[in-house]
Amino acid sequence: MGILTFLLILPLFGAALIAALPSGSDRLIRVVALGTATLTLLLAWGLVFEFDSTQPGLQFLEIHRWNPRLGTSFSLGIDGISLPMLLLATLLSLIAIMASSSINREVKGYYLLMLVLEAAMMGVFMAQDWALFYLFWELTLIPLFFLIDRWGGQHRHGAALNFFLYTMGGSVFLLISLLVLFDSVPGGSFGMTAIATAAKSLPEDTQVLIFLGFLLGFGVKMPIFPIHGWLPLAHVEAPSPVSILLSGILLKMGSYGLIRVAGVLPQGVGALQGILVAFALVSLVYGGLLAWRQSDLKAMIAYSSVSHMGVVLFGIAALNFAGLEGALLQMVAHGLVAGAMFLLIGLLYERTGTRDINHYSSLVRVTPRFAFFTTLTFVAAVGLPGTVGFVAELHALIGGFQRWGWLAVVLSLGVMISAAYAIRTVARLFTGPVRAGIHKVADLKGNEMFAATVLAAGIILLGLFPAPVLDLMSASVAQFSLVFDGGGNG
Amino acid sequence: MADYLVWLIPTLPLLAAAWIGLGFVAGWSRGEQAETMIGRLVIGSSLLSLLLLSLLGADAVLYGTPGQVVCGTWFSSGDYRIPISFLLDSLGLGMGVLVLILCLLTQLFSVNYMHRERGYPRFFMLLSLFTGGMLLIVLAGNAVLTFVGWELAGLSSYLLIGYSYDRTVATVNATRAFVTNRVGDAGFLFSIALAYAWIGSVEWPSILEYSSRPEALTAGLIGIGFVTAALVKSAQVPFSPWIGRALEGPTPSSAVFYGAVMVHAGVYLLIRIHPLISETPLIMYLLVLLGTLTALYGWLSGLVQTDVKSSLMFSTTAQVGLMFLECGLGWFELAAWHLATHAIWRTYQFLHAPALMHLATRPARPVAKWLRRIPALHAAAMQRFWLDAITDWLLLRPTRSLAQDLQDFDQRVINRIIGLPDRTATLSSLSQWEARKQGQFRQEGEIGSARGLVGRLLQWFATLLYWFEEHLVLKGGSEGLESAIKLIGRYLQQVEQLLSQPRYLLLMIMVTFVVIL
Repeated sequence: MGILTFLLILPLFGAALIAALPSGSDRLIRVVALGTATLTLLLAWGLVFEFDSTQPGLQFLEIHRWNPRLGTSFSLGIDGISLPMLLLATLLSLIAIMASSSINREVKGYYLLMLVLEAAMMGVFMAQDWALFYLFWELTLIPLFFLIDRWGGQHRHGAALNFFLYTMGGSVFLLISLLVLFDSVPGGSFGMTAIATAAKSLPEDTQVLIFLGFLLGFGVKMPIFPIHGWLPLAHVEAPSPVSILLSGILLKMGSYGLIRVAGVLPQGVGALQGILVAFALVSLVYGGLLAWRQSDLKAMIAYSSVSHMGVVLFGIAALNFAGLEGALLQMVAHGLVAGAMFLLIGLLYERTGTRDINHYSSLVRVTPRFAFFTTLTFVAAVGLPGTVGFVAELHALIGGFQRWGWLAVVLSLGVMISAAYAIRTVARLFTGPVRAGIHKVADLKGNEMFAATVLAAGIILLGLFPAPVLDLMSASVAQFSLVFDGGGNG
Repeated sequence: MADYLVWLIPTLPLLAAAWIGLGFVAGWSRGEQAETMIGRLVIGSSLLSLLLLSLLGADAVLYGTPGQVVCGTWFSSGDYRIPISFLLDSLGLGMGVLVLILCLLTQLFSVNYMHRERGYPRFFMLLSLFTGGMLLIVLAGNAVLTFVGWELAGLSSYLLIGYSYDRTVATVNATRAFVTNRVGDAGFLFSIALAYAWIGSVEWPSILEYSSRPEALTAGLIGIGFVTAALVKSAQVPFSPWIGRALEGPTPSSAVFYGAVMVHAGVYLLIRIHPLISETPLIMYLLVLLGTLTALYGWLSGLVQTDVKSSLMFSTTAQVGLMFLECGLGWFELAAWHLATHAIWRTYQFLHAPALMHLATRPARPVAKWLRRIPALHAAAMQRFWLDAITDWLLLRPTRSLAQDLQDFDQRVINRIIGLPDRTATLSSLSQWEARKQGQFRQEGEIGSARGLVGRLLQWFATLLYWFEEHLVLKGGSEGLESAIKLIGRYLQQVEQLLSQPRYLLLMIMVTFVVIL
C-alpha cells in the first residue's frame, strides 16, 4: 500500500472508529476526529520533504488495475499542481474540525461526515484516473448534503437540496464528456495519461464540445457567473465549519478540474479562451458588486468567493505560465482567506446570534483580537501587498496582461470593488458609536485563537515569502503551460 | 592647513541646535537647570567654529587665500552634481569672522537677557541655527549651498519673529515676513536653475567666470534673480515693510537679524556676484534707484518713529539702502567696508536698546520742523509710505478671492462628484446625540448606498445586478428548479395513481396486447 492510499484511508479509518464509539461520548469523538485530522495533516505535510519540486511529472504514483474490462484503475499520484491543494485541504479540514466545538447535537454523525468529506476531497486531488476522479467528486456531495441539511441554519433543507441539484446537474455534463473521451481512447481507458494522449488527436470541434461539458460541470462548482445560484444559499445556511470547507476547498475542486481538463483539450480551450475570460471578468465584477450589496456577513463572503474565483478563472484563461501560476496561487490564497473569514465570522455569529452587519458596531473595544484577525483577513482579501492575495493577484494580472493587454484593467476594477466592501465591513464591525448589547461579546479563546493564528500566519508568510510555494508549483506549471505555447492560443 | 575641516565651521552650530532640539523632545534640555548647559553648548560651538575660522584666516593672511575647497559630493543624479564646496577668499573669510563674532556676542548677551524665559531652549536653538545658516551663506562655494544657508536664516528669522506665538500680532507678522522672503527665494531658485541650464554648474567661481563671456543678456538674467533675492533679504523698497514687522522677536534676535547680520546678507550677495551684474547697466541703474529710494524711505520714516527699536530699524534700512546705492555705482569695496563697520555699530546699538531708557538723560527729539511743515510727507512717513496697503491691494486681495472661488468650486462641484461627506454627517439635534449615547442612533448610510458620482454608479449597477440575482438566479434558477421538480413529481404521481386504478390497468394491458398482436 503506497503512502497516498494510506493518506486516503486514514480519515476513513478515523470515521470508522467514530462510528464504533458510543454516541454519547461527545468529547471522545471530538478528540478522535481532531487526532485523525492532525495525523492526516502531518502525513500530508510530510510529503513536502519527499516531494522533488524540480521534477514536473507525477510522483508517488500507484496504479492498481480495478476493472480491466472498463479500463478503470485505482491510480493515485501528485504533482506540483495538486500538492498545494492537498496541503490546503488537510489544513482547512483540521481548522474546520477545531472550529466545530459549538456543534452539540448529533455529534457523532457530524464528525464522521466531516472525516469522510476530507477523504473524498483528498481523493479528488490525488486521483489519476478520470473514473476515480468522478467517484470522489460525487462522493463529496453525500457528506456535504447531510452536513448542510442536518446542521445548517433556518433554510437548510432548501439550501441542501439546491446545492445537490445544481452539482448533480453539472455532473451529468461532466459524465457525458468523460464518456466521450473514454470512447476516443483506442481500447477504452479512463487513465488520465491515456486520455490526455488520445484526446490531442481529436478534431477541434469535438474538443470544444467536450470542453463545454466539462466547463458546465466544473463551472457549477467553481462557481462561474450564471450558474452560481446554489452558492449564496449553501454558504449562508451551512454551519460555519462546513462553510470553511465549502469555500476553502470545495470551490477549488472546480478550478482544479478545469486546469486538468485544459491540459487534456488544449485546442478546445484555446478556441474558448475568449469566452472563458469574459466569464471570469463578469464573475469578478458581479460577485464583487453583489458582495457590496449584502448586509448578511456570510452572504457577503459567499459573493466575494464568486469574485475571487473569477480571478482564478482569469488566470486559467490566460493559458500561460504566469497566469496559471497566479490561478493556483489565488486558489491557495482564497482557501486561506475565505477559510479565515468564515472561521472568524462564524465564531462571531456563535457569540451574537446575528449575521446582519447593521447590528454590529465598535467591536474593537471589546474584542481586539477579533478585530486584528478580521482586519488582516479582509485586507488580504483585497490583496494588500504583504499578504498572499497580493502575490496571487499580481501573477494573474501579469499573466492576463501578457495575453489580453489592457483588458486586465477590469481585474483592477474588481479589486477596487472588493476594497470597497472589505473596508466598509471592517469599519462597520469595529468602529463607530458604541452600541447597546454589543459590549458583552467574548474575545477569541485558546484554540480559536490558535486556528486563526495559523491561517493568519499562512496569509502573511506566503505574502512575504511566496518563493517556497511557487517553487513547489513552477516545474509542473511550466511543463503544463508548454502545451499551449505550441497549440491553441497562437 | 586643514582646509578640509572647513565644513565643521557651519556644522558645529547646526549640531548644537540639533542637540538642543533633540534634548527638548527627550527632556534633557528643558527647565531652568538646563539653561547653563544650553548656553555653554551654543557658545562653545560658536567659539570652536571661530577658532577654526581664525586659524583658516591666519593661514590665509600668511600664505594667501585657498580659494575653492571641495569637501565631497552632497548629491548627484545623472550629470547633475552638487558638491559640498566652500569659497575661502578674502570676502568670504572676512564676512565669516565678522558674522561669527557678532553672533557670539549676541549669544553671550542673551544668556543673561533670556534668563528664566519660557522659550529659553527654543531661542538658543534658533540662534544657533541662524549662526550656522549665516556661516553657510558667507562661506559656501556654490549657489545651492548658499541657498540652504539663506533658507535656514529665513526659517530661524520666521520662528523668532513668532517667538511669542500666543500673540496674534507676532504670528501674523512672522507669516508676513516669511511670505515676503519667499519672493526673494523664488528669485534665488530661478537664478540657480538658469545657472545650471546655461553654465552647467552652480559653483560660484564658474558662475562668476561666465560673466566675462560676451553674452551679457544671459549673465544679466542670472544676475537679476540673485539681485531680487538680495533686495528682499535686505528689505529694500518695495519689499521694505517686512522688516518693520520683524521687531516682534526678543531684542537680541532683532539685533543680530535685522540690525547687524541678516539684513546685510543681501549686500554680501551683491558683492559676491558683482562681476555678474557690473556689466549689465540696467541692473546697476535699478540698484541705484532702489538704494536711493530705500535710503530716503528709511530716513523719512525713521524721523517720525517714537520707539527705540523702530527708529533703529529704519536707520538701519536707510544705511543698507546706501550700501545698495554704492553697489549700484560700482563701489563694491566701499560697500563691503560700510557693511562691516555698520554691522558692528548696529549690534552695539541694538543690544543697548533695552537699557536705553535707563541711560537716557534727555527726552527724545521731536519731529524735525521742516517735516512738520509738509503735512503730506509727514503723513506718508507716519504711514511708512503705505507700502503694506499697496501690497495688500495688489496681491493679497486678488489671491484671497481666487482661493475663495476655488474653495467654493471644490465644495460645490468636486466634492459632490467625488462624494466626500458633507456637513450633514454631523449630529444636528440633541435627540440624535442622546440616541447616540444610548447606542441606538445610526450615523452611517445603509448598506448598498454610496455618495458621489462613482458611488452612485456603483450603487445603481449593484442594484441592477441584485435584481437580476434575486429574480433570475435565485428565484428563477434555484427555487425555480425546485418547484419545477415538484411539479413534475406531482404529475408523475397523478399518472401513477391513475395507472393503479383497475380500469386503466386493464386498458393498459389491452393496449399492450393490441400492440403485440
